[in-house]
Amino acid sequence: MTEKIWEEKGLVVRHNFLELLEHWAIALSGFVLIITGLFQMPLANRYYISSLPGLAWSGDFIISLNVHYAASAIFVAAAFFHVIYHGILGERGMLPQKGDLKTSITVVKSFFGKGEEPPFHKYLPEQRLAYIGMIFIIAMLIISGLVKTYKNIYAPDLSEGIVFLATWVHITFFILFVLAFIGHMAAIILKPNRPMVRAIFTGSVRLDYARHRHPLWVAELEGGRKIPATVEPAVEEISEETVEAETVKTSTEPEMLLQKKADLQEADESEDLYAETQEEDVGGTDKTSD
Amino acid sequence: MKKELLPKISRRSFLKTSAGITAASGLTVLPMAKKAHGATSGGLATLIDLSLCDGCVDWEMPACVSSCKTINKDVIPEPVNPIPQPWPRKTIEDWSKKKDVFNRLTPYNYLYVQKADVETEDGKRTVFIPRRCMHCDNPACATICPFSANHKMKNGAVVIDYDLCFGGAKCRTVCPWAIPQRQSGVGVYLQVLPDFMGNGVMYKCDLCHERLAEGKLPGCVEACPRKALLIGPHREIFALAEERAKQMNGYIYGKTENGGTSTLYVSPVSFDLINKALIKKPGEPDMKPDVQRRMVKTDGPGRIVLASPILGAAAGLIGAFKWFSRGKGGTKGGEKDND
Repeated sequence: MTEKIWEEKGLVVRHNFLELLEHWAIALSGFVLIITGLFQMPLANRYYISSLPGLAWSGDFIISLNVHYAASAIFVAAAFFHVIYHGILGERGMLPQKGDLKTSITVVKSFFGKGEEPPFHKYLPEQRLAYIGMIFIIAMLIISGLVKTYKNIYAPDLSEGIVFLATWVHITFFILFVLAFIGHMAAIILKPNRPMVRAIFTGSVRLDYARHRHPLWVAELEGGRKIPATVEPAVEEISEETVEAETVKTSTEPEMLLQKKADLQEADESEDLYAETQEEDVGGTDKTSD
Repeated sequence: MKKELLPKISRRSFLKTSAGITAASGLTVLPMAKKAHGATSGGLATLIDLSLCDGCVDWEMPACVSSCKTINKDVIPEPVNPIPQPWPRKTIEDWSKKKDVFNRLTPYNYLYVQKADVETEDGKRTVFIPRRCMHCDNPACATICPFSANHKMKNGAVVIDYDLCFGGAKCRTVCPWAIPQRQSGVGVYLQVLPDFMGNGVMYKCDLCHERLAEGKLPGCVEACPRKALLIGPHREIFALAEERAKQMNGYIYGKTENGGTSTLYVSPVSFDLINKALIKKPGEPDMKPDVQRRMVKTDGPGRIVLASPILGAAAGLIGAFKWFSRGKGGTKGGEKDND
């Protein structure tokens, strides 16, 4: 789709503007929903939150409910848009695949220095699992929230069982939503994942990062063309190696990846340094592409 | 004259409605409830005729209050001692040593008789007003309860589940008359985090919900020696209230207040004058005519929320359609870039 390799800039476009908009609509409205949801508990007055400057409204259930409603409208619309739009477009990159659970365990172990990561596609297997988990949590929050809203406006005497169920589903999945949010934040604290963070702000990741961590994705984007695995070797020699890298994953590759990763981590501190490496990379890849 | 005005609504017709309401399952509610705020027009309503109520002045305690107290005497368990101090706001409401108070609403007293010395054009007139929960048509106290511990039943009664209530008093804050009353040191919050969450249980009139289910009348209605309180099908009670108000050239309270309630006061004196004459203190509510249903301000945003799935899905469909209609060109362009 809009994913593409931007060789001159040393970047790979990972998300388009629309996807960023969807993410941030959900994220920001979700944050407001968590806060205003807590205000319904009611804790704003008890914990003197309503005494803080600018937060007097938090103790007013009518205002905080209206803020909750406003955020809900954005949250729900964005969620429905996301599922319908990407569903019709047939984008399945974030849906779990066979073996994701097993691979996820390997990946999580590798974060703690045990073993090595397998090569990734665009998304990590645990990202795909987390995505489907989040979809489920959000779906339950939306369904129960809509029932509660309907009850508030039209049917205060809706069956007690339904109202009770909706309320407790809403509370339970609220807790899961907060936990999922914490997990989501924890994932980006992990060093290997950090180069991905820029994608949710700018839409792109560094090409060198993508080549090393997401070779299957880059291979797909390059449409079966050879992957220039490294910069050093001469063009003629590279071709054979990269074909192997694409298909089999030679035993030397993980070592190379680790080496590169270590380089990346060192360079993580300085953006300028990156610009240089990227320029080098771009030069190298240009050569190989031609 | 008095006899004529008295129950058209017999015990039998009341029981019939009650049974009909019980028989109506949850499924029948949805289509019935489509009309905003009129959700309970099929339920029960009570009429309190202030021209009949004399406050049982010669009695030690008004009959309705006495009956209510007797029926509900064992509702509240003995609070724990000491009552845990909530943190950080240290409010504790303990009425357990003042169970006998009957001249205001307390967690141990769900009904009391207000006295208003009203200055009318014809001189001073004393009005006695039995006060309790109005059982509103769209009760904010119930819909806004974070744990669904407060619910409007199909028969119109607004009932707090004392086993589920955390005593946050949100219901009292949103009630225009601040009816629900808190007793700290009892309830489920003690089992969770008593210092940090919850503060007891909220108590109020439940229209003798359990007695209604058994086919009995609410205690206050049954006990009133002057038949100043009546209960019956919503429509019939409303018609009767109109009729009585017309006959006495009087006024009705509770029909439009807070978006409509199922308690109608009929009075020969205007409620504006009564309200002015009333002493207003915690547990002693006012009678402000035309008091607004505050939740009305949330109905608009709520309707937008209910429409948002459709809006989101429609945008998704349009977006996908646009993508496909210009998709080929766009993809080609993308490929060209890579080439």
